[in-house]
Amino acid sequence: MDSALIPDGVRRCPLWKFLLGLSVAGAVLLWGVYAMLLCWVKGLNQTNMNDYYGFALWIWADLAVIALGGGAFFTGLLKYVIGKDELKNIINYAVLIGFICYSSALLILAIDVGQPLRSWFIFWHANVHSMLTEVAFCLSCYFAVLTIEYIPLVLENRQLDKVPFFHNLSHNMHSAMAVFAATGAFLSFFHQGSLGGVAGVLFGRPFAFREHILIWPYTFFLFTWSAAAYGPSFTLFITWLTEKITHKKLVKDNVVFLLAKISGWMILTYIAAKSVDTLYWMFQTAPAQGLQWHFFYQNNAFYGKWILFTEIILCGWLPALILVYRPLRERASWRVTAFVLGIIGVSLNRWVMVLQTMAVPVMPFDEWVLYIPSWQEVATTILPVAYGVILIMISYRYLPIFPQEKELNPITIPNGQEPELTTDPQDLAVKTMAVSNSVEEVAAT
Amino acid sequence: MKLSRRCFLSLSIGGTVGTALTPLPWKLTDDMSIWSQNWPWTPVPPDGAYTYINSTCTLCPGHCGIRVRKVDDRAVKIEGQEGTPLNQGGGLCPLGLSGLQLLYGPRRIQGPLKRDGERGKGQWKPISWQQAIDEVSRKLADIRSQGKPQSLACLTDSDTGTVPQLFKRFLNAYGSPNFFRMPSVEDAYESVLSLTQGVDGFAGLDLYNADFILSFGSALLDGYGAPPRVMQAISRLKEQNGTLVQVEHRLSNTAAKANVWLAAKPGTEADLALSMAYVIIAQQKYDTDFIGTHTEGFEAFVRMVQERFDPQKVAAYCGVEADVIVRTALAFATAQKPLAVYGKGKGQTAGSLREALAVHALNALVGNINRVGGVQAIPAYDYLQWPAVMTDETAAAGLQTQRLDRARSPEFPHAQAIVHRLFETVNASPGEVQALFVAEANPCYSLPGSANVQEAFDKIPYVVSFSSYMDETAMQADLILPNHVYLERYEDVPVRSGTTRPMIGLCQPVVAPQLNTRHVGDSVILIAKALKGAVAESFPWADYESCLQEALGDQWDAISDQGFWAAAESAPASLDNGFGTPSGKFTLMDETIGAVYQVGEPSAAGDASEYPLLLMPYDSIRLTSRYVGGTPFMLKTVADTVLKGQDGFVDLNPETAAHIGLGEGQAVRLSTPVGEARVRVHLDDGVMPGIVSIPRGLGHTAQGPFLAGKGVNVNRLIAPVEDPASGLDAALGIRAKLTKA
Amino acid sequence: MKQTQTHNQKPPQRYGMAIDLDKCTGCGACMVACSAENNVPFKEDETNKLLSITWMKVFRITNGREFPHAEVCYLPRPCQHCAGQHEGHSPCVSVCPATATDYSAQTGIVSQIYTRCFGCRYCMGACPYHARYFNWWDPVWPVGMEKSLSPNVSPRMRGVVEKCSFCFHRYQLARDKAYAEDKREVGEAEYQTACAQACPAGAIVFGDLNNPEHAVSRIAQPDRHDHYKSQNPRAFRLLERLGTNTKVYYLSDREWVRKAGDNYLADENPSASTPPKEHA
Repeated sequence: MDSALIPDGVRRCPLWKFLLGLSVAGAVLLWGVYAMLLCWVKGLNQTNMNDYYGFALWIWADLAVIALGGGAFFTGLLKYVIGKDELKNIINYAVLIGFICYSSALLILAIDVGQPLRSWFIFWHANVHSMLTEVAFCLSCYFAVLTIEYIPLVLENRQLDKVPFFHNLSHNMHSAMAVFAATGAFLSFFHQGSLGGVAGVLFGRPFAFREHILIWPYTFFLFTWSAAAYGPSFTLFITWLTEKITHKKLVKDNVVFLLAKISGWMILTYIAAKSVDTLYWMFQTAPAQGLQWHFFYQNNAFYGKWILFTEIILCGWLPALILVYRPLRERASWRVTAFVLGIIGVSLNRWVMVLQTMAVPVMPFDEWVLYIPSWQEVATTILPVAYGVILIMISYRYLPIFPQEKELNPITIPNGQEPELTTDPQDLAVKTMAVSNSVEEVAAT
Repeated sequence: MKLSRRCFLSLSIGGTVGTALTPLPWKLTDDMSIWSQNWPWTPVPPDGAYTYINSTCTLCPGHCGIRVRKVDDRAVKIEGQEGTPLNQGGGLCPLGLSGLQLLYGPRRIQGPLKRDGERGKGQWKPISWQQAIDEVSRKLADIRSQGKPQSLACLTDSDTGTVPQLFKRFLNAYGSPNFFRMPSVEDAYESVLSLTQGVDGFAGLDLYNADFILSFGSALLDGYGAPPRVMQAISRLKEQNGTLVQVEHRLSNTAAKANVWLAAKPGTEADLALSMAYVIIAQQKYDTDFIGTHTEGFEAFVRMVQERFDPQKVAAYCGVEADVIVRTALAFATAQKPLAVYGKGKGQTAGSLREALAVHALNALVGNINRVGGVQAIPAYDYLQWPAVMTDETAAAGLQTQRLDRARSPEFPHAQAIVHRLFETVNASPGEVQALFVAEANPCYSLPGSANVQEAFDKIPYVVSFSSYMDETAMQADLILPNHVYLERYEDVPVRSGTTRPMIGLCQPVVAPQLNTRHVGDSVILIAKALKGAVAESFPWADYESCLQEALGDQWDAISDQGFWAAAESAPASLDNGFGTPSGKFTLMDETIGAVYQVGEPSAAGDASEYPLLLMPYDSIRLTSRYVGGTPFMLKTVADTVLKGQDGFVDLNPETAAHIGLGEGQAVRLSTPVGEARVRVHLDDGVMPGIVSIPRGLGHTAQGPFLAGKGVNVNRLIAPVEDPASGLDAALGIRAKLTKA
Repeated sequence: MKQTQTHNQKPPQRYGMAIDLDKCTGCGACMVACSAENNVPFKEDETNKLLSITWMKVFRITNGREFPHAEVCYLPRPCQHCAGQHEGHSPCVSVCPATATDYSAQTGIVSQIYTRCFGCRYCMGACPYHARYFNWWDPVWPVGMEKSLSPNVSPRMRGVVEKCSFCFHRYQLARDKAYAEDKREVGEAEYQTACAQACPAGAIVFGDLNNPEHAVSRIAQPDRHDHYKSQNPRAFRLLERLGTNTKVYYLSDREWVRKAGDNYLADENPSASTPPKEHA
């Protein structure tokens, strides 16, 4: 029915199946929208946040999706500015994932603030000393850049492309993309950094506070770096997941290996810097404020030293080494494991910088306060996931996201017949063989 | 015209872009934020003309001077009235500060109510004031015509000032001797002054000028007397490097601020005081001049003390080491102006007469009677010079009958009123009380053994409440004639707490009555007039205000202007003619007093083997357990280790808790011989092992959503224990046990 | 012009507080007076202290010892009106993205503009004293109780942050009065916070730390050359080591109480603590 919209030369699942999937994700989305409306209409008493947890699940989700969405700016930087041309085969998807992550972050922020109708005051009455002001400006600008980067992709839809204006627009935008990519990288550097600064400047919170280089605390640089490091891992992981779900090879291995290798080295350098920062904080920054580092991991039911181990060793050094070591990087199971560990690591880092910062008592007579989100918070946090799934489903179905898809998945069925999804196991096996053959081909070249 | 797809697309895109370029979206954005800044459901208090009105707070016996800020006809803030003798520093307690929440709060009664349905179910029919007065007077006339005027009883908060005296006068004219005031430490002090000094009056404790205060469990910093005055006195004591010693089983706020905290076991305080007397005598540190010239019975006192109160012996069971007793006693005796203070907690119970006597004896030993910085006996106020009550035959006969509590009978000569006996009598022989008036008191909540009180209320055929608030007692009434609250009415409030200077505060209307209420004085006068005859003739005043003006006479102008009247600062009564005893001397010991010392302390009810722990209530200034319940602002100050959600907490020593296997916050069943409740446990190193510490002032069953159903009312768990010496309720605690819920 | 210059030489006002913890009885009058003065909303259940708005909050601290050696001290905590390491670099003011909280160079008071605040709560995360409170609910006064609201302080709408303002409206009233009367200075007694006024124990002293005639400056003895650190051996400030440079001084004779005002390593001695580091 919708075949006219589907890109040329690729196969898509039947419409009913697509709609079924869409409605499942849509139901989750509606649940999230309901919770969102509750928060807007009844106020933030719908959450389990409190006066000790002014920042909680949502801010974590914000920071995490922006870190994971960092794949967009960094891949863009690599392709358009540094000139890693192979990455053109994954850049579309990186942009799409980035677009989803950033629009989600903005949506979550709109729910999170107590007076959403006045949130534009952040621009109107801007306090230039505030890291959050920097975040707001760069975030909205970069979101605009992502939108500009996403538009040509939309215009490549088979029907839209028929309109000469759109066709030309898309073409011209493509040629200007290097400029946007550079702008995006520049903006990202600042907002990723200022998100790190959000925690690092809190000199009233010894857990988060870090020394500064000029006006920027160390976390500023660590956040940018980690987003650049783990973002591509997330892009690759979502690509892998998409391939698993569609039962198709969508991006050639050389592209994947290249990006994974870069991600690995970035993680390795990041985690080395993070380790130095942590040690300096443990033995210099915190003791200067009268606090033993052990203090931050004691006397409470959740935040123990396991967090340090998990974040830095298990989800930092380990994925970095896997991705850097070629034999492991090129084995799918190891590679994907490293991606997952990395995603957990960076998310955990954001969690710690937001929630543990709030949990740690600062006045000696104060107490640890733990927090469990309300269902409304969880629903509104899952809402962007559902929205992302839907946007990916639609984009994948109707837009030529993966330039290599046609080549990797040649359609052998005679023309004029509607392609059908293979359900026969034998058929599947043949297809998988075809895929692995193509992988070998690529590896050989 | 056919709208092509292309045309439609251009139109919509063009329209969107075009609109975005107009000021409309910006204007809308701006309007939205302006709307969010002026949400109609967020109140905007109207501005107006600012005025200040001086008055007196009547929410506790402290009677502090207050200053109320008004904007037009709204009262917006209560502050302390600075620089008055009633309130030197201008500070005020949490209750006084939040009085407007009572004035404007939802727990007030809107107008006269008649019960419409079962008692206590809260079903009411609003009636007119005329109907209400008719109703009461008809009922009272009926009782009177049966020749049983004595079966009308009345319970008020105090017995001084025109309002309580109007009630008393009404009962006299009507023919009943059964006027009661709520129990307090004043009961004990009155007995002590009467026994030792032969004075009918109240004890003025000169805390402000003392340099060594030895307090026997008094919550000096948690609401004792007049809280601001007492706290200022203690702050001054600290500034002057004076000493505060607190004898108390629990690390109360007073103990926490004391220089020395003596954690004596409950019930051993009198013995501790007498062992200090032992030390003072043994070391010859007593005031030989005062003892020699102005006391009698010293030798007998010395004999008694030497025989029984050797510090070594007392230390063995009171929990305070002998050398500490000796050190404290000597420090007390050698101080310039030492003062020993009696009265447990805020002083809302009479307590043990024996302990009160022992503490007073310490003051006498150091010669600190009727001196600056000591205890001064202040004669009762006598400014009410009313014409004699007309008593007809019925009244005369009624007044001849024995009081229901036998107070002021040979059995209990010194007690003014023994409230628990009133309700015990009702429970034993229901017919004795046909009608009960309750004004400015909430016995169904605030008397120990409140379950028994409640039961007694069920047996009283006719209960009239004059309460301003729908409290636990008003809930049990047949008829409610709601009083104005203190910010809407005139009233003279003679000060008896925390001062050595006689003073009358004037409570005056700060705002017009907000609801269909009536001054309780007016209600009494109207009821009397409706009864006609001698009763009516005894109330010659047109209304309460004229009665008050007449009572205050020449002082009216000054008092209404200033907000108070204070006696000139004068030297304490001379020692030579200051004692009304037959010998004209301070009686340290005679037969009566000896007998009181001879009997032991009234012990807490319950069997120690079944109830291994001791439940002890404590007072906190952040809660209130008198007639007026706590305010929403006060509840903000209550810690979450005292009240969490609806759960009330008891404090336990960690050792005791560990012994029973209880942890912080755990829910337990607290049982005593008279009741049980579900509570949660809070571990506190300031609590003596073996003691369960519970706050007074929670566990209301009425008074609206801010108070009702929160925590546990300790009065439901304890029962009165009669002091054999005074007849008064001396119960402080009760035996208890905790079982895991 | 010359007049302006001489005027400038005089240091600006620096309102602050000295709270004697040995006098404080923990009665909570300051909390109630503050709530009544500033139209602080209240709910039926105020027992969840993480959701209870108390501009002034009295903390209870203990020495951690067993019966009968246990000791208790109360510590009233208003907003500390931090100046930071350079005037105005308060933890909260520096992070507010919309300039909804600001530092007054003239009075040293940290303000909060409710109608500008859009509720991001970053300031709450920044404040180590938990002096900032969010309006999670619409404020509701039971019918009739709105009559007790003071027109001097606007009730806050849902979704904004609020905190102690050192009763700034009282300063404004006093200043206007003083200005009308020959442009004189605001007198010590003319501007007092509601909590200082209500304290029955006289534990809270309020005034201008830069004015040697004000009691508070005599008690706090701030050293203007060392980030206003107190020179009174009885005094300490809360979390001074973080460099917040607060204007609320606490006094106690008891060492364990003074030590409870800051974090110290096991081998550190409070009196010899290192000076706070400079922050950018």
